[in-house]
Amino acid sequence: MADQYLDFANTPFGRSLAKRLGLPAPVRLRRYEQGAALIPGAAMVIGSSELARTTGELLLGWGLEVRTHDAGHAKLGAIVVVLDDVTTPADLSPHALTLSPALKRLAPGGRVITIARPEQDGDAPELAAARLGVTGMLRSVAHELRGGATANGIELEGSLDLSAPSAQAALRFLLSGRSAYVDGQFLRVDSQRGVLPQDADRPLVGKVAVVTGAARGIGAAIARVLRRDGATLVVVDVPQAGDALAKVANEVEGTALQLDVTRPEAGELIAAHAKERHGALDIVVHNAGITRDKLLANMDAAKWDSVIAVNIESQLAMNRAFKAAGLDQLRIVSLASTSGIAGNRGQSNYGASKAGVIGMVRASAPQLSSGVAGINAVAPGFIETEMTAKIPFATRAAGRLILPSLQQGGLPRDVAEAISFLASDSAAGINGRTLRVCGQSLIGA
Amino acid sequence: MQTVVLDKVPALGALYAQAALGATRRVRRVAPGSLPDVSAEAREVRISEESLIQYQRLLGDAVREEVPSVFLHGTVFPVALWLLARKDFPLPLLGMVHLSNHVRHLRPVRPSETLTLRAHARDLRVHRAGTQVDLISQVLVGEELVWEGRSVYLAKGVSLEGSSRPEAEPHPDFVPPATTGRWRLDATTGRRFAEVLGDFNPIHLSLVSAKLLGLKRPIAHGMYLAARALKSAAPHGVGYAWEIEFAVPVQLPGSVEFALTSATQSSVGPGTSDEEPGSVGFVGWDARKVRPHFAGSVVPLALAATVGAGTD
Amino acid sequence: MGQNLSQNRPAVVIGGNRIPFARANGAYVGASNQDMMTAALDGLVARFGLQGQRIGAVASGAVLKHSRDFNLTREVVLGSALSPQTPAYDVQMACATGLETIGSLADKIKSGQIESGIGGGVDTVSDAPIAVSDDLRNVLLAAGRARSLKDRLAAFAKLRPRDLAPSAPGTDEPRTGLSMGEHQALTTQRWEITREAQDELAAASHQNLAAAYDRHFFDDLITPYRGLAKDNNMRADSTVAKLSKLKPAFGKSLGDQASMTAGNSTPLTDGASAVLLGSEEFAAEHDLPMLANFVDYELAAVDFVSGEEGLLMAPAYAVPRMLARQGLTLQDFDFYEIHEAFAGTVLSTLKAWEDPEFCKDKLGLDAPLGSIDRSKLNVNGSSLAAGHPFAATGGRIVATLAKMLHEKGSGRGLISVCAAGGQGIVAILEAR
Repeated sequence: MADQYLDFANTPFGRSLAKRLGLPAPVRLRRYEQGAALIPGAAMVIGSSELARTTGELLLGWGLEVRTHDAGHAKLGAIVVVLDDVTTPADLSPHALTLSPALKRLAPGGRVITIARPEQDGDAPELAAARLGVTGMLRSVAHELRGGATANGIELEGSLDLSAPSAQAALRFLLSGRSAYVDGQFLRVDSQRGVLPQDADRPLVGKVAVVTGAARGIGAAIARVLRRDGATLVVVDVPQAGDALAKVANEVEGTALQLDVTRPEAGELIAAHAKERHGALDIVVHNAGITRDKLLANMDAAKWDSVIAVNIESQLAMNRAFKAAGLDQLRIVSLASTSGIAGNRGQSNYGASKAGVIGMVRASAPQLSSGVAGINAVAPGFIETEMTAKIPFATRAAGRLILPSLQQGGLPRDVAEAISFLASDSAAGINGRTLRVCGQSLIGA
Repeated sequence: MQTVVLDKVPALGALYAQAALGATRRVRRVAPGSLPDVSAEAREVRISEESLIQYQRLLGDAVREEVPSVFLHGTVFPVALWLLARKDFPLPLLGMVHLSNHVRHLRPVRPSETLTLRAHARDLRVHRAGTQVDLISQVLVGEELVWEGRSVYLAKGVSLEGSSRPEAEPHPDFVPPATTGRWRLDATTGRRFAEVLGDFNPIHLSLVSAKLLGLKRPIAHGMYLAARALKSAAPHGVGYAWEIEFAVPVQLPGSVEFALTSATQSSVGPGTSDEEPGSVGFVGWDARKVRPHFAGSVVPLALAATVGAGTD
Repeated sequence: MGQNLSQNRPAVVIGGNRIPFARANGAYVGASNQDMMTAALDGLVARFGLQGQRIGAVASGAVLKHSRDFNLTREVVLGSALSPQTPAYDVQMACATGLETIGSLADKIKSGQIESGIGGGVDTVSDAPIAVSDDLRNVLLAAGRARSLKDRLAAFAKLRPRDLAPSAPGTDEPRTGLSMGEHQALTTQRWEITREAQDELAAASHQNLAAAYDRHFFDDLITPYRGLAKDNNMRADSTVAKLSKLKPAFGKSLGDQASMTAGNSTPLTDGASAVLLGSEEFAAEHDLPMLANFVDYELAAVDFVSGEEGLLMAPAYAVPRMLARQGLTLQDFDFYEIHEAFAGTVLSTLKAWEDPEFCKDKLGLDAPLGSIDRSKLNVNGSSLAAGHPFAATGGRIVATLAKMLHEKGSGRGLISVCAAGGQGIVAILEAR
């Protein structure tokens, strides 16, 4: 299992020892289970705008107990702060001060979610200050929360409201256990596009999804979660990893495709396999990635080039192939990394490739903006996998325990949940974005 | 000829022991006509099913409702040996060399049949290396002769009075045929075969016992070699005639290169010349020294009309 | 009559999977037949998405088999991702095992008895069954039957130290005591196959196999196992010059005429393979590829005990019978997959087909079958390079040939596999 410290710290003896030694006391995160309640208690909606009202109605419609103004003595599973109407930083005050006492009632694994407008070019200075102020407040609150509770925001562009499928889908994702390791992040909805699923527990029914690098670690977890959410899987990995890949394929009842994604014909072969064997290709998760860590001062061509080839060039080539194959309704999710945002010592090649993914996603979005098409990235922070097990212990312990607000490393599953959300048709209104799944790690700010 | 009816088939061990006692007597020459005019007979003899199974397992063959020819030889052999172990038998039993066997197995013999066994010696005659004698063995079911064998033995260095030894004939060069089989015989081969048929001649059993009798190493039973050859060459369900001539003994442990040949290609000696259709020849030899161990042939009696009398 | 069969619906080769073949006592030490066959089967299930499906029948087998594996294939199925309602049976026909399973399943599909089948085989020399000696076995059996302690002790009293030595299975022919290599050495000499010709075939096998790996040919035919992703007997840099330096390993009694070395003979190998077959309806319904039709197959056996024919020459007899039934000539093929038990086996077989005397006297033909275009022979390598885990070879060849035919898009392929006991099995595949 990934985190023996977590198991230890959750025994009574371990808890007291951890406290005395001044070690952080990480808790078990509230992770998604099919059929479980969306949040662990009542929902409180703070805000006075029309959007705040419709938010309350939406939550009521989801069968939640909804409170406004005063939480009373109820344990709150979530607090949704609707701030679309702030025009100047002073406007934040009443909402922040309403949130203040409510935070004390927030249940372990609870959620604080802001719904606001993003700061955009052309905003008046006061407006820009207010809107960006929301992000600063939210991120700070995220640091403040304990007990596995998280704080994230939804940014609705223009005049979008909760009638946008992706706004609803984002709200549900952030409230649910699917976003357990997403903390201090913002999901930006930029269009009305997107189709909500008939069954929120199985949003990917009828979809054919390809996951590269699926033999182990995060890739295998992605395949499992996509399967759980209803997708039919094609799992891809290099031929050398075929035995592990076969196990994953059999577990998720999909087909295994042994293929090196750096081969020029990889995209073509994937598209052909999916179409011939499963009749369609709806979702591609570019997860295949490698690390060849070395200080740049000591880097050689093999290490540099292989990382770039696998982690970004292959994705670009496959995306071109998918486009050429006429797959214009594809939902693509790429694996970036917090190393691509903040950089990481010894990972200049990896950082370049992962920042490259973020750029690729942003630039590809306009070409994938019809129907339910779209492309996004997920940037995992410290995730406990075979790959991270190679990181020296001290760095690993620090990365896992000290830096993230959630005081623990994430699980491959946590990344997979975010990917499954972004892979769904309901997320079509979110495009060209990179969502961090990092437990609010300081790496990358 | 006088017939001595034995009350049971004698135990070979006792006969060898008896012979060993008599071995102090050195025989240098024998008179022609000195063979005792005696025939030995054992009646109401039953085949041991257990031994038969052991025998077939040892050879790696299947147990069938017919008794292998060499097994019948082994059954009648103690009766013949009883003759050789008699005090009045002129040649010394121990140290006699088995030269050849010539057998007519007239019809398949079922393991359940009650047998009468007969043996006598005849035809004391000169050999270039000594004096040879024929042991005639017979197996009958009721009055019917079902199996008849002639084993030729040589008493080395024993002269036959009134005969001078012939010059040794030059051996033709031995040219081995294409191999069809290879027998790997381990050191226990002699002992295992002895356990099945009771022939505990010390020259077959162990290094120590063989050395006591002046051999460098134990050697395989001639009849074991015959049995292996017949396993490949003998037909089933019909009578057949077969013969085998022995040349260089097979030392144990050792390996025998083996070949089945469609016509007899014996180059051991003048030997047989059965060119009958359906006849099979066989040869065993030492691959390294290219010297023959044995050669022989098998002719199904259904095909060999000349031998067919009294069968079927 | 063959006509009847060809009027039946086709049996289609959908695809195959094997684990890399590993030299004995190497990468797969500790892996049992069941382990390896399960890996091969699960890889096939993963490749074609057959999880939880009930297949018409699964047939496989092993040449070297533990007594505990009396129901090997069924146990493999129960441990696999297939539906536990999938029936399974074992076949044991020496090196013909794999192809026989596939042929018999194809017949069941053609006749409409089943819609889908998985055939294959497995063998390990590294985990070969070691038996107790016959004497010890008899004692143990007798003791088991004994009703009293006294009887039991009496049974054990028969035990001798030498009885306790274990007995391992050999590759010697029971009826001749000659190893397969010794037998082939005789045949190789009989057909006057030169050392050079054998080494050329061996080098080509390695080079062809390596080239096939390089062009990713095996990406959808092999699933790695125990850290091995390629056949580890393969020497991509094999050359005639290197092979010519090896000393003879078989036929030493032939003196300086001995020509068979460890380089032009297959090594003992561990491995497993599986091939998915189905009716056209089954393939279409499950969106599965159709690589080739399994057209026909034929068995033959020769009298090697008497020395009348070489141990591994049975395919030479099976092929003309099958060709006659199908109205084909030896030249009507685009690929020839002749199992390289030994380079000499392949070359002797080819030479026999070219020999007027052999074809007339032994095969009863008016004219020789003739020669084949050697550039169509074992084009993606064969057993000399890949290795030969006895029962697994048939599945390797069928899957490889089916893919080659499918890539070409037309034509036929001929398979020839020799087997212990003087047996042989041959088959025809047709592209689709």
